Amino acid sequence: MIEGPILLVEDNPDDVLFTVRAFGKNHMGNEIIVAGDGEQALRLLLPSDGSRPLHPALILLDINLPKVDGLEVLRALRGDERTRALPVVVLTTSNEERDIVDSYRLGANSFVRKPVVFGDFVEAANVLGLYWLLVNEPMPPNRGD
Amino acid sequence: MALIDHTSAVIYMRDADGRYLLVNREYERLFRLRREDIVGLTDHDLFPGDVADAFRANDLLAFARGFPVQMEEEAPGEDGLRTYVTVKFPLTDAAGTSYAVCGISTDITERKLAEQEVRRLNDELEMRVRERTAELEASTRELDAFAYSVSHDLRAPLRSVAGFSQILLEDHSDALGEQARQYLDRIQANVARMAQMIDDLLHLSRATRVELRREPTDLAGLAREIATELRGRDPDRDAEFDIPDRLVAQGDPHLIRLVLQNLMGNAWKFTAHRGDAVIRLSGHEHDGVDVFSVQDNGAGFDMRYAHKMFQPFQRLHSASEFEGTGIGLAIVHRIVTRHGGQIHARSEPGQGAIFRFSLTPSPAGWVLR
Repeated sequence: MIEGPILLVEDNPDDVLFTVRAFGKNHMGNEIIVAGDGEQALRLLLPSDGSRPLHPALILLDINLPKVDGLEVLRALRGDERTRALPVVVLTTSNEERDIVDSYRLGANSFVRKPVVFGDFVEAANVLGLYWLLVNEPMPPNRGD
Repeated sequence: MALIDHTSAVIYMRDADGRYLLVNREYERLFRLRREDIVGLTDHDLFPGDVADAFRANDLLAFARGFPVQMEEEAPGEDGLRTYVTVKFPLTDAAGTSYAVCGISTDITERKLAEQEVRRLNDELEMRVRERTAELEASTRELDAFAYSVSHDLRAPLRSVAGFSQILLEDHSDALGEQARQYLDRIQANVARMAQMIDDLLHLSRATRVELRREPTDLAGLAREIATELRGRDPDRDAEFDIPDRLVAQGDPHLIRLVLQNLMGNAWKFTAHRGDAVIRLSGHEHDGVDVFSVQDNGAGFDMRYAHKMFQPFQRLHSASEFEGTGIGLAIVHRIVTRHGGQIHARSEPGQGAIFRFSLTPSPAGWVLR
């Protein structure tokens, strides 16, 4: 199990509740930190005030967000050495081809459409957690070059 | 003289120096001159310099070529310049020397004007088509934006309804009682159904929006893939697929796949209660139009309601009989129409159904039956 928190970038409080619940059901021990918009997410990941940046094990990124949207967050993360290799799963309502294409072009590791049925949502969270926190071998720390 | 006088063409003869030897009656009438006054004059005595220069140049061309040449010429008339189509040919003496040129000019001004009008109308039409295309593209973009916001905005609240009813079931089951739990189950079933409807609507709008790319497409190959998918979904079913080796049409392979997916999917669905289901794809030519058909021996439908079938969300069977959102045939209809084709369904309850469609524009007045 990869240590470190999961950063959930999500503005819909219901979806925050469902995601936290789904990961809880799957007994993922990782702390879930929530950023309610893109600006807040960037402040945590790429702080400009000299504070220590958050280094999550996984980022779950919604696309439709207030202020700075998910795709802009993705662009900023991929443009910075510190966050270039962080695993980012776009977790969104849409399965518009445009959003899928843009996400991958900007360097998303995965694109998942939030299922409507809660059982499917839990199942998706389970698979995501299992893969990204257990199966996948992440970039070793301090080797972001 | 009678021969050259009784014609609506202008006829004249000039010598090697451009001096008039002879003109016909039409020439006299047209330029209000008498022939005895013209003989010996040149075009430079009768017409503006540039007009006369052009006539002279054409005379010399006929002399130089030594055989009849045809050209368009312009000469001043009562109401402005008139256009003529002129044939000029040299006259030669016994020694083979050209001593004169004869010209026959026919007024084609009206025809030229008509041609110009046709060109103008064509340009105008093209411009109007461009305008309409731009308008259409704009409304397609609007539709696109609408579909996009539907996909985002309608699904999110549905997810909340589904999620919280599930949480109630999981965390408060004891407090709720049996009937409340059943209601929550029904809420969830309807949420799932509405989610499916939103997805189907998005498919329908996508089938309308995507660019159509025509290429030779083997319907039989696509049908075999789809048959494999259908069998995989329900391996216990015993159904026969009757598909020819090859069935090529000019069309968009992705969209045609959707057509076959829906028609064969329906056939699969409506033959579910039969042990000896047969689903057949075939192609025939009718009046020079390629017509394809998907036929089954399933539940069929009542022809009285056939006209409703291709409209979105119209269903001819109850949800308890056969599931579905009623959008599949609307997608099929739209794709066939976008190809310029037609679709027609025939059935009787219990007797199976046949869906026939074309993928090319048909001759005017031709209707698929």
